[in-house]
Amino acid sequence: MRLGRWAWLLPLPLLAVLGLFLFGLGELVWSSFAGPEGFGLDRYRQFFARPDYIDVLFRTLWVAALTTVVSLFISYPVAYFVARYRGRKDWLLVLIMLPWLVSVVVRTYGWIVILGNRGLLNEFLGWLGVIDAPVRMLFNTTGVVIGLVHVFCPFMILAILAVFLQLERQLEEASMSLGAGPVETFWRVVLPLSLPGVISGVMLVYLMSTGAIITPLLLGGLRDRMLGTQIYQEMFQLFDFPKAATIAVILTVTAFVVVLPLQWLERRVSRNLKGAA
Amino acid sequence: MSQTDTLLAIDRVVKTFGSHRAVDGVSLDVRRGEFLTLLGPSGCGKTTILRMVAGFEHPDSGTIAIEGRPIQGVPPYRRPIGLVFQNLALFPHLTVGENIAFGLRVRRRPQEEIARSVDEALALVELSGYGERRVHELSGGQRQRVALARALIIRPAVMLLDEPLGALDLKLRRQLQLELKQIQQRTGTTFIFVTHDQEEAITMSDRIAVMNGGRVEQVDTADRVYNRPSTEFVATFVGDTNLLSGRVAQAGDGEARVSVPALGRDVPAPAGSLRAGDPARLSIRPENIRIAGPDAAWRVEAIVRDVVYAGAAHRYTVEAGDMRLLVAAPANPGTAPLAPGQRIAITWAGADAALLAASAA
Repeated sequence: MRLGRWAWLLPLPLLAVLGLFLFGLGELVWSSFAGPEGFGLDRYRQFFARPDYIDVLFRTLWVAALTTVVSLFISYPVAYFVARYRGRKDWLLVLIMLPWLVSVVVRTYGWIVILGNRGLLNEFLGWLGVIDAPVRMLFNTTGVVIGLVHVFCPFMILAILAVFLQLERQLEEASMSLGAGPVETFWRVVLPLSLPGVISGVMLVYLMSTGAIITPLLLGGLRDRMLGTQIYQEMFQLFDFPKAATIAVILTVTAFVVVLPLQWLERRVSRNLKGAA
Repeated sequence: MSQTDTLLAIDRVVKTFGSHRAVDGVSLDVRRGEFLTLLGPSGCGKTTILRMVAGFEHPDSGTIAIEGRPIQGVPPYRRPIGLVFQNLALFPHLTVGENIAFGLRVRRRPQEEIARSVDEALALVELSGYGERRVHELSGGQRQRVALARALIIRPAVMLLDEPLGALDLKLRRQLQLELKQIQQRTGTTFIFVTHDQEEAITMSDRIAVMNGGRVEQVDTADRVYNRPSTEFVATFVGDTNLLSGRVAQAGDGEARVSVPALGRDVPAPAGSLRAGDPARLSIRPENIRIAGPDAAWRVEAIVRDVVYAGAAHRYTVEAGDMRLLVAAPANPGTAPLAPGQRIAITWAGADAALLAASAA
């Protein structure tokens, strides 16, 4: 089919979306700098002057980092298993994505049932005799990390799986034929070759964790706010839009401080693996 | 063959995948220092045998022994084997030198020894100075050599090569065939080479094991496989041939006679294990059929149907009796080739044909 002279119309929707996005972003950054006493860093000074906000910032980074690391350790073996599974992989993929058929809110409420002081897990541990008093796993950092790991693991699994699926089985066999046992083969061949997937999974989960709202809102304690919930609170409870904008900018900047080096690393690693596929 | 000559002994090995018998009772003795080729069409089980020797597949029954020791249950990384894959499987995250050093690093050899061995290996495959390159910077033929050097550096008792030249173009392929053979002779390593290319097998091998349908049909030198095929499959798979169906008319000491209905006469054949009255196939190579002169012991009338000039020889399709035969005759400068429609007489010496039992089908 020839598009002819109407072809220039095609990019228009894209430009419209891009324009709106950039306008929103510009507006956000602008309102964080524009204060009652004119343009300046006033709002940022106010933010960093409050120890409770600093706490929120560091808690956000800590929870995001913890969520990322735990997700990685759970997802890596799962991705490897799926990649090497000789039967039908598509069913395993369906299983991995299945939680996404249920809304995040519902799934998070599910965790309340499991993790609560009188929840399934505590009752079970008590029945086993492992604990005397219920372990607090809800409305604190533990609860938030468990909830976030559950929500984000599929992303990590898919990111790593994408690399594993391109990894030729024969590379591992070559390693073994040269005398490397399974452990040595993992460290010398499998892990280095899967790094691009690991890095993109880490970036993905870390970014999503820093911006998470629903899970920390439901599973986190009132005192354990994160930047996402703080923004939510400023906007919908206190209607302080400029402050919300300021926190949003700080959130974005801190997220990218971690992601940019990772991106550089990924590009480096991928370049070394050129011709791997 | 004495016992000490046998480096690798494959004994009545069977391997099935689901309901498919990939390897169906193969016995094979590989001698120390020889270049043995497993030759057969795809799916004949040759790669499966290689993978069982390497330890990536396990026989359902039968045994495989290296130096007289069964290697059942020995994991691949403890077997004295080197492996070159069809797709080479070079490590993309390592340099050429690191790829070659891999086996020695794993063995925790001292740094100086590794460096020296890698230099030697690079020199052996004529890639000196390429150690720092990355694998993707190399040409197909160079990668081939890296894969060979990587497997050779651990000084394996047996080198297993799974169609390593398959992806290369013909010219490079020929060149690497010679190099591979030279390296094999220089290092004295036992090579088991898998290919479906009969020309490649004939060029390189000390012995060829021709495989079909999970079985070894014949193990012999290239010369004997070509000139003395023991089954119909071997005769047709290795090189071109004419197959004549008939019945043994007379089985003597040195020579037999086979009556071929399609030719309407008896033709000479070498004596074999077949007796008079047995159904038989006669395989006669195109270059062994000659244009009969006046002094020929026997002859059959034929008409030239088709002429193809193929470099060193003319290839004729001639019609004799009810069948068509391929005849290859050296192209003599100065003499005109036979023309289509020309009436000729053809003959062959009984010793140049191969008498085979008629296959069950």
